[in-house]
Amino acid sequence: MDRQNIHSSVHSSFRSRDSTSSTRSDPREKIKDCLRKFIAFMFTQVGVGALVVCYAILGAAGFMHIEKDSPDEQLENVKQWRQSCVEQLWNITNRYNVLNQTQWMYNSNHVLKIFQNNISNAIHQGYTGRTPEDIWSFPAALMYSLSVFTMIGYGNVVPKTAWGKVSTIAYACFGIPIYILYFCNMGKVLAQSFKWLYITAHECSRREDVLIEDGEMQPIKRKVTVPSTACLWVISFYILSGTIMFGAWEKWNYLDSTYFCVISLCKIGFGDFVPGANIADSAEGSHLKLVINFIYVLLGMGLVAMCYNLMCEDVQVKVRELREELKNCLDDITLKITVCMNDTKYYHQRQTRNVK
Amino acid sequence: MARRRRRLASRVRGYVRGFLAFLFSNVGVVVLVIAYTIAGAFMFQAIEGASEMERVSNMTRERDNTAQYLWQNVTLTLNLFNETALKERISIELLHYQRKIVVAVRRGWDGGISSRQWSFSSAFLYSMTVITTIGYGHLSPRTSWGKIVTIFYALLGMPLFLLYLSNVGDLLANWFKCIYALVCMCRGCPGFTRRRVVHFRSQLELSDVESIERPVGWRPEYSESEITPEPIPYVPQHPRPDPRRDYFRSISLPQPSRNPRPDPIRGWSEPLPRPGSVSSDFTYVTFDVQTITVPISACVAFMVGYLIFGSMLFGMWEKWDKLDGAYFCFISLSSIGFGDFVPGERVYTPRIETSFIVCSLYLMLGMALVAMCFNLMQEQVLHYYACLKRVIKRICRCKR
Repeated sequence: MDRQNIHSSVHSSFRSRDSTSSTRSDPREKIKDCLRKFIAFMFTQVGVGALVVCYAILGAAGFMHIEKDSPDEQLENVKQWRQSCVEQLWNITNRYNVLNQTQWMYNSNHVLKIFQNNISNAIHQGYTGRTPEDIWSFPAALMYSLSVFTMIGYGNVVPKTAWGKVSTIAYACFGIPIYILYFCNMGKVLAQSFKWLYITAHECSRREDVLIEDGEMQPIKRKVTVPSTACLWVISFYILSGTIMFGAWEKWNYLDSTYFCVISLCKIGFGDFVPGANIADSAEGSHLKLVINFIYVLLGMGLVAMCYNLMCEDVQVKVRELREELKNCLDDITLKITVCMNDTKYYHQRQTRNVK
Repeated sequence: MARRRRRLASRVRGYVRGFLAFLFSNVGVVVLVIAYTIAGAFMFQAIEGASEMERVSNMTRERDNTAQYLWQNVTLTLNLFNETALKERISIELLHYQRKIVVAVRRGWDGGISSRQWSFSSAFLYSMTVITTIGYGHLSPRTSWGKIVTIFYALLGMPLFLLYLSNVGDLLANWFKCIYALVCMCRGCPGFTRRRVVHFRSQLELSDVESIERPVGWRPEYSESEITPEPIPYVPQHPRPDPRRDYFRSISLPQPSRNPRPDPIRGWSEPLPRPGSVSSDFTYVTFDVQTITVPISACVAFMVGYLIFGSMLFGMWEKWDKLDGAYFCFISLSSIGFGDFVPGERVYTPRIETSFIVCSLYLMLGMALVAMCFNLMQEQVLHYYACLKRVIKRICRCKR
């Protein structure tokens, strides 16, 4: 459906461009032409990509605005717990003094345990040790909106306020179709260009072969499908580059960064590894990483779509071939069996004749 | 001898074929997905469960260390006489300790509340979030083997789950269409109200339909195929009886008796009485399930209903408020999966096991329902698109 729409709009824009270039210069026609061109552009890859990026930026600004001044009770709570813990420790010290080490140790251990439980509870309820201003920086919000509409959902940054939640739902409702449009479009375009590349490379190599074998042979024109191994190579190369990049930046080991790339590109998104989300990191250094991660994920999704397209085609062709081969094989086997059966029939007949 | 062997071989082949067909049928796919998830649950439990104990003991040691440090470096050096300085030092130490706790929880330590994080049910939920690409992240593999296995598990499991989605989505879409036709439009399932339709159809004047479908003015300029891009069963040129084409496709017409003008786009079309084959035509009149299109609003309403049901269920179960429950359901069903709300995470009660099971059932069913709605909505959108195209074509034709 999309493709038809695009094609029709592209054709119409071409047609109209031709018509305007000839003689007609009606202002209404011109406006119509401009509009048509604009729509045609919106449905091209650039338009859709720009739409996605704009949508993400818009969402980032919106979420930042909503979430930035949310009152954080957790932060206050944690501070209060720490104060009370200090107070208790002081009391213990006051009571037991320096002279009774074991008792002091025992009591302070108990106090520490209570503190620890409180904090781990708070973490389970979303305490991250950072203030909302720190968390909802612009790149982080960008990453958040990306993770919403690509359905990755890292979950390292989550909305706390009710308005944030409601707007997340609405944002996803509109964002996911846009993203799917991007996914299909990007996949198609990348698949076509990759196919063209592959075919040209293929033709080049084949023509040489043909020339070596005999000069006058006509290369047989047949439909070339990109094998799925080529797609797998592309994807694994992309993952490898991501592995090396994130490994160098985040000081993750290679397994961890491979794991991160696969989990991101598969849209699972556990969120246990997110670039630039380290607590110990300063907020300033991580912004660039987040932006680059944004680009990496968005491009990678396009590549995945491309591979999906190509592999579907390839698998269809393979299945057809396999079916034909199976049919041939079955025919062969049935032929053999019938021959065998006839032989045994003859054998039996001969035997019975002999007995007679 | 040979004959018997061949019979055995054919029987085996039949069994194998039947088994494969079963595997690719709906029940088989569901069973396969569940079995795959259970296998994954056992695997991850075995891999990750061992390292979990280690982390708990690590955390205990950390606490001991902190207490020791407080004793030796703070209390012994600063002593009792300087309260403010002592409190400041202790506060700083506690801040360090708090950071450590946050990091440890991030690394997968659950705070020592439930001793076994990787119980069977949570491992089940984990493997399900992997293959459905939800990925809550409340549990994530910590060992390197766990990570490798997760990668391969996802690569294998996601196509399987897609297969499940497409299969079950189709099935549910068909059922939903049938139910929609039965309930909302007071029609019946195929064959049930055939007689009534035949009765109704005989009342209609066929010439009226004919004139609406093909105005006289179009005839000279445009060919038949251009006027009717959709396969319309009006086939006087083909005397070959084609029962599939002559299906009576009037399901989506809301009130036929009040609105005698049939909508040609929706597929209402009259098989013309062919010379000599009128009675045989009427026997073919039936509903084709494929031609029913459910309006988008019905799909959306259904999904919203499912969301609200989920929010009530989880709200009752987990003591979340309504907004949080709806948010959780939406985030899960759209496969985003932030993981800030996970059932069985906050309330550590003995009910955890059933809660996990209910959650996974809800998710499996919900994903299939989403797929179903996508199917139906896609159909409807395509249908609208064809409608629009045809209307535009007609308008253009009228003008010029």
